[in-house]
Amino acid sequence: MADVESSLEYTTSLGSLPPPRTRIFKIIVIGDSGVGKTCLTYRFCASKFPEKTEATIGVDFREKVIEIDGEKIKVQLWDTAGQERFRKSMVQHYYRNVHAIVFVYDITNAASFRSLPAWIEECKQHSLGQEVPRILVGNKCDLRHAAQVSTEAAQQFADSHSMPLFETSAKNPSHADSDTYSSNSDHVEAIFMTVAHKLKSQKPLVLSQPANNTVTLRNQRGGEEEKGGWSCNNC
Amino acid sequence: MNVKKSRSGASSPLNGIDKQDAESRRKKKEADITQALSVTPVDVAVLRRMAISEGGLLTDEIRCKVWPWLLNVNLEGISEQLEEVDRTNNKDYNQVLLDVQRSLRRFPPGMPDEQRMGLQEELIDIILRVLVKNPQLHYYQGYHDIVVTFLLVLGERLATALVEKLSTHHLRDFMDPTMDNTKHILNYLMPIIDRVNPEVHDFMEQAEVGTIFALSWLITWFGHVLSDFRHVVRLYDFFLACHPLMPIYFAAVIVLYREEEVLDCECDMASLHHLLSQIPQDLPYETLISRAGDLFVQFPPSELSREATQQRRRETASSTFKDFDLASTQQRPDSAVRRRRRGEREQQQQGPPAMEAKQGAMVAVRPAARRFVRLAVMGITVALGAAALAMVNSALEWAPKLDLHFFP
Ligand SMILES: Nc1nc2c(ncn2[C@@H]2O[C@H](COP(=O)(O)OP(=O)(O)O)[C@@H](O)[C@H]2O)c(=O)[nH]1
Ligand SMILES: [Mg+2]
Repeated sequence: MADVESSLEYTTSLGSLPPPRTRIFKIIVIGDSGVGKTCLTYRFCASKFPEKTEATIGVDFREKVIEIDGEKIKVQLWDTAGQERFRKSMVQHYYRNVHAIVFVYDITNAASFRSLPAWIEECKQHSLGQEVPRILVGNKCDLRHAAQVSTEAAQQFADSHSMPLFETSAKNPSHADSDTYSSNSDHVEAIFMTVAHKLKSQKPLVLSQPANNTVTLRNQRGGEEEKGGWSCNNC
Repeated sequence: MNVKKSRSGASSPLNGIDKQDAESRRKKKEADITQALSVTPVDVAVLRRMAISEGGLLTDEIRCKVWPWLLNVNLEGISEQLEEVDRTNNKDYNQVLLDVQRSLRRFPPGMPDEQRMGLQEELIDIILRVLVKNPQLHYYQGYHDIVVTFLLVLGERLATALVEKLSTHHLRDFMDPTMDNTKHILNYLMPIIDRVNPEVHDFMEQAEVGTIFALSWLITWFGHVLSDFRHVVRLYDFFLACHPLMPIYFAAVIVLYREEEVLDCECDMASLHHLLSQIPQDLPYETLISRAGDLFVQFPPSELSREATQQRRRETASSTFKDFDLASTQQRPDSAVRRRRRGEREQQQQGPPAMEAKQGAMVAVRPAARRFVRLAVMGITVALGAAALAMVNSALEWAPKLDLHFFP
């Protein structure tokens, strides 16, 4: 195995083959102010919960290189400001060439859930409709005791918009996983990896999502296997 | 002028003699400020010059005395009692609370939690108080980064008065119902960069990086992105003494200073946005401040407004004129505010005719030739540095007519 790798490297460094271009997946993360977009993107890219986040002004950018089936892929996360005034005239520029959309709400904040249709509408206005893979993320599952949005309601909403739903906690994923709170929350990393898998498997210009396509994903350390359902009931 | 990082020779080495020298200059400056404050009427022109020139206003104690003059806030007119704030029926409370809660980094690292939490409460109150009193102003995320700076320097009572004045003047455009005017101000960035370094400009255009990387710089006066509070207040000295568009010149100067990094960067939006939005923390502030001042002299807003407006509808273009108007009448802000509210037609009769005429003259010059001439002149002004700035500033009274021959 090691031999194969080094010989491969050798070939590449000779320049006989052009080095494969790293593919880039551009994912935009949107949702109301305070739902945890910055924490989620930070958790994925830096593998920890940020001690002190600050209000996002305009658009922040984070990226992480992942590996799927031996291919290195750059995942770019565009973390946007939640305040309405920013998106009206500022954020548009960053909707261009987006490969996937992550909608986030806060399970302890019903208003953030009620805003979702407006966010979806806004994406439509930027010509990002159902053909672009979209997921719904309910964050702050570590605060399950203060939940205002039930999993059922969220699932129903997700189904009606043909999106898979994930519930998670950027702060305390293990807690979210423990059965005191919830038995079916997801790791932040697994969620974004699911999106990446989805994008990788998707042929360019395929406009509809395959129904009930369950992605089995292996994280890059090759460790545990996790299931992220890309269930899409209404397709 | 070479605005490039590598060749900047302007920061003076602090060897023994220079240190002594710096100390005596500091003493002199303190004395000058005290003197300017003690005469009747207070010599605001001198105070402005002090706020701009090397080191700015030196201490927070001095800032407490001088900032009100820079904003023309009458200390005697400030009531002893602060108005009560009704948080429950406030449309902005939730957003403000959310942002203030997340503003931990703006407070000095060693501050006890209890003290910090007390200040955070005051911060919320100041913001809501100003917003309630001025329903035409709309809260934006980042406003809290500005207000916290005033709070930490001045305390709640003074901060409330100054922030209110600032919000109806320098920050006014950011506080419109929409951010269209803010976007318009950001549109000045690329033309400034183009004038000084077309290569950097073209590279950025090609990458389609946009200008949002500078948004937080502009609307927080860099308070959101600089971690050292001393640098923040130093910049605030400068901005308070200058034209409201100065922060965008400063933003341009930072980009130009990073020329080599920019040109070495991959030419795509993500990489460049990422590079530029990570502001270096070890910037040579004094040098950059003086460069920003130079650029303002060389390429005043009136000259850039045509390009900045190109992508814009006509009516919003007047925003710049409004600002110009404000800056040139800073001693009488109330009348300036009233004037703002009049129609665009009238606006154009007041300051702008001179600008229009000037623009007309500009078009006659071939752009390439102009660029060359301009850069040659800049070599001279950069040597003048802060001194030139002081002149610019007192020249704001007649800013629209400002031209190069005022500088030797
Ligand atoms: N308990 C808990 N708090 C969170 C979680 N994610 C974010 N937060 C907190 O929610 C607040 C807003 O988070 P932030 O990421 O800045 O929200 P954004 O405005 O959507 O970017 C911060 O105080 C975070 O510490 C989470 O999973 N659990
Ligand atoms: Mg955020």
